[in-house]
Amino acid sequence: MDSYYDILSVLILLSSIILVSHKRIKSYIKTFRIQSALIALTAGIMGWNSLMEEGRFDVLVVCGIIVLLKVIYIPRLLHKTYGSVEYKVEKDFFLNIPLLILICCGLVVFVYFCVSNISGLNEDHINLQVVNSFSVILIGLFFMISRKWALGQMIGFLVIENGIFVTAMFSTHGMPFIVDIGIFIDMITAILIMGIMVMQINKQFDSININKLKNLKG
Amino acid sequence: MIVIANNLIQLLVILLLAPMVDGIIKKCKSLSQKRQGSPVLQMYYDLFKLIRKESVVSDTASWIYKATPYIVFSTAAVGALLVPISTLMPSVQFSGDIILLFSLLALGRFFMCLAALDTGSTFGGMGSSREALISSLIEPSILLSIFTIGLIADSTSIHQMMRAMTEVGNPFLHPVYILTFLAMLIIILAETSRIPVDDPATHLELTMVHEAMLLEYSGRHLALMEYGAAVKQLILMTLVANLFLPMDQLIPFAGEGAFILSIALYAVRVIFLSVVIAITEISTVKFRFFSIPNLAALSFILSFLGFLQYFVLGR
Amino acid sequence: MGLMLWLVPLVAVLLSILIKETKALHVMNVVCSFALVVIAGFATKSVMVSGILQYNLFGMLFYLDALSAIILDIVVIIGFLVSIYSIGYLNEELRRGEVNTKRIQLFYTLMYSFLFTMVLSLTVNNIGILWIAIEGTTLASTFLVGYHNNKHSLEAAWKYVIICSVGIAIALVGIIFLHLSSVTVIDSSHALRWDILYDHAKELNGQIVRLSFLFIIIGFGTKAGLVPMHTWLPDAHSQAPSPISALLSGVLLNSALYAVIRVLSIVNKNLGDSQFTGNILVGFGLLSITTAAIFILTQKDYKRLLAYSSIEHMGIIALSIGLFTPLSIFAGLFHMINHSFTKAMLFLASGNILQKYETRKISGIRGLLKVLPISGFAFLLGLFAISGTPPFSIFASEVSVFLSVFAEGHLVLGSLFILLLALVFVGIAVTLFRIFYGEEDSEERKPGETNPAGAAVLIVFLIIISITGLFMPDAMKELITSAQRIIGG
Repeated sequence: MDSYYDILSVLILLSSIILVSHKRIKSYIKTFRIQSALIALTAGIMGWNSLMEEGRFDVLVVCGIIVLLKVIYIPRLLHKTYGSVEYKVEKDFFLNIPLLILICCGLVVFVYFCVSNISGLNEDHINLQVVNSFSVILIGLFFMISRKWALGQMIGFLVIENGIFVTAMFSTHGMPFIVDIGIFIDMITAILIMGIMVMQINKQFDSININKLKNLKG
Repeated sequence: MIVIANNLIQLLVILLLAPMVDGIIKKCKSLSQKRQGSPVLQMYYDLFKLIRKESVVSDTASWIYKATPYIVFSTAAVGALLVPISTLMPSVQFSGDIILLFSLLALGRFFMCLAALDTGSTFGGMGSSREALISSLIEPSILLSIFTIGLIADSTSIHQMMRAMTEVGNPFLHPVYILTFLAMLIIILAETSRIPVDDPATHLELTMVHEAMLLEYSGRHLALMEYGAAVKQLILMTLVANLFLPMDQLIPFAGEGAFILSIALYAVRVIFLSVVIAITEISTVKFRFFSIPNLAALSFILSFLGFLQYFVLGR
Repeated sequence: MGLMLWLVPLVAVLLSILIKETKALHVMNVVCSFALVVIAGFATKSVMVSGILQYNLFGMLFYLDALSAIILDIVVIIGFLVSIYSIGYLNEELRRGEVNTKRIQLFYTLMYSFLFTMVLSLTVNNIGILWIAIEGTTLASTFLVGYHNNKHSLEAAWKYVIICSVGIAIALVGIIFLHLSSVTVIDSSHALRWDILYDHAKELNGQIVRLSFLFIIIGFGTKAGLVPMHTWLPDAHSQAPSPISALLSGVLLNSALYAVIRVLSIVNKNLGDSQFTGNILVGFGLLSITTAAIFILTQKDYKRLLAYSSIEHMGIIALSIGLFTPLSIFAGLFHMINHSFTKAMLFLASGNILQKYETRKISGIRGLLKVLPISGFAFLLGLFAISGTPPFSIFASEVSVFLSVFAEGHLVLGSLFILLLALVFVGIAVTLFRIFYGEEDSEERKPGETNPAGAAVLIVFLIIISITGLFMPDAMKELITSAQRIIGG
């Protein structure tokens, strides 16, 4: 079973790196959808196991929610937001892509060294899944700071959230059910709010380039 | 004695099969476009035709220009001696032969670049500069993925590495292999001038890379160059087929029959890989030249992650 | 009773969606916030009698002890006063045509969701739900920060929602690690419960607990406005409508610190001493005070100045909690109460000033005491109070913090602390005191309060901060002492 989780964690990590290498908001959304589907698959496998072994079906419910929310609803919402904001330039990053990818590489190595130094996380060998899923969080953060469109930042936030969720799944095999549900509610509200804010910013500033948000200083 | 015979067999198989692989890829592509396309064996006919024709050599060209086709072909042919098509047969092997293989291929490429510069035509210069950039970009990920496999096998001999891979069982249950496999696929596409990197079917001056270097060649020189490229492509595919899709462990019996079955399985995997390459070519578009570093970076990070996961997971 | 604490704000949210009349909205607002105060008063009473108030509601555990009761009381009292103030504030805005009934509806809906999430975060016995509630506070207040819907407020709101959401997400990582450290110790039906985690603190995996504390201090520290994660705070506080600034500064920052304090007590019990957490908290505290002092010295916008002062006081609280002696915890909690009330009053007064002068610039204001006699007076006294002048309560708590620092023998830390506070005092005096003098040159600006309800609220605040400065009521002392015992073990 572990090898499936290993592979899924690697694929999730890979999808976030591919996300960083994309240039267009549409491809961000597509990659995010793929990543969420991979996460749903992981949750599905885990949920099936817990159903077989302990008769719990809450992880399967969580898997269903991920499919509905992150694979179907949020990407659609993002598409809608993207459709309604006017965009003029497609380019959306400060550094060139190979450099971005190499920095991601460095982040993974950094996480690897950190995790390998914390003995509490590793029983007898280094926990690969935690390394990979934790790197997703850092890559999400890095994605946020490397983009200048507000929508890119939203997707970065979603990737961080995905990374956290996967870290929770791999390290503790799921948080308590009610907490998971609450996190989903929070996340969907956050995305709705950010979506509305993006439209307002677009209206006020004629652009969703957050570099223009620098009136408040000092 | 039997060792040498085995090497001769694999040389022959690769040399004979190489033009057909090209034909299969072309056939797949044309079928996908609802065309009948050229026959699978078309490249054999072309080679025969070209060999019989005289080759025109520019007055300004030096000996490099004339020597290059022979160097390209012979490096590829020697490379074919080094890559076992089946793990069941003992063949000539020594530690480090995978490094020799890639150096041979690089030597051929080096001369190809020189020859393209030699005639002084603008396309040749453009092609060789692009080729040099692409190959230097893709080089790190080749080395990393090869050495990752080498670490797993504890050896730098191709045969040993393939033997080790037959013992891991299903490599697709192991992240290291998946990552290096994906990296190798990108490497093959870049090394054999396939579509996201270069378009083998175009002679458009702005986009061609490999073709630009062959532009001045004709007759039997051209035949050797084309043949060399096809052999090189098959060598890389053989590497991937035997390293990442090992099937020899599935053969339940030993002896002559096993050997023949193993070669048959090898042919099946090569055809499968050609179909995969054809599908990639159909479904993607050629990248802008300045986007190729992105692809190279992706392949690098794939092989690097594989390398890292090896350290985390062990074999 | 616990159920009522959660239900009243929810009912208020519902009512403000349904009611479509300005007057009725105002009445509903006063009734609901007063009801909250009464319920919280009873709840506090029973906490003081029985120690812990705890029931199981909808699978979530309602949990109130002395520590959460203190902060809950701050929340509901300031919430009540602010809601009275906002009647006058919103009426004035309505008169100028800045808002309409629909916007007022939105204001109350969001304000009560904000209050609900804060009350929830303080009264729930599950760190996961606490996280959800604190993220909820961000989401509920985003549109309140962006209420004016102009370029500046949108920018502030965007920064607020992005920085706080990401910060809080980091805290979630910490919570996951805390959960991980307890998986083998605690039964899964009790996972993430405060009291259970605290009881089993010694058995948790120490390394992971330390790791989780790092993430949690960064995460909730973002929300509490500790430097260097503070960058959203001055923007959000200065751009939000003044009642909301008062809530953000007086209430929200405390809820975030509450989460840090809860985890802190678990971590310290697990590690056996407070060296690790102390260093971190004192470091963040000193950095916050220093940065805030520098920015206050050069500030040109009075609401931003107040926001930086909030950062400074959060730093003081973090520092004194970080020292983790009984005296310093006591001083920290006491300071938390005093800062909340004083800063809420200052922000409310600044709202009156803003409505009168229509500028946030310090240089645009002259002769404040003549133009706005009550608000100006409250603002002046509030500034004295916030910079730590006797007889106000902040002086009392700051002195207790000094005492606890010196009692521990941290001479350098103590002197640095005093120096920085003096710097803040100088900063406020240099930049702000000039607004009280001079003559008003504009003819149009008639002297007189625009917001009588608000002025009354300011007087109530003044009385509160002066009384607690002179002597501490026994009930309050008892409550803080038992809270200090909960934290310190």
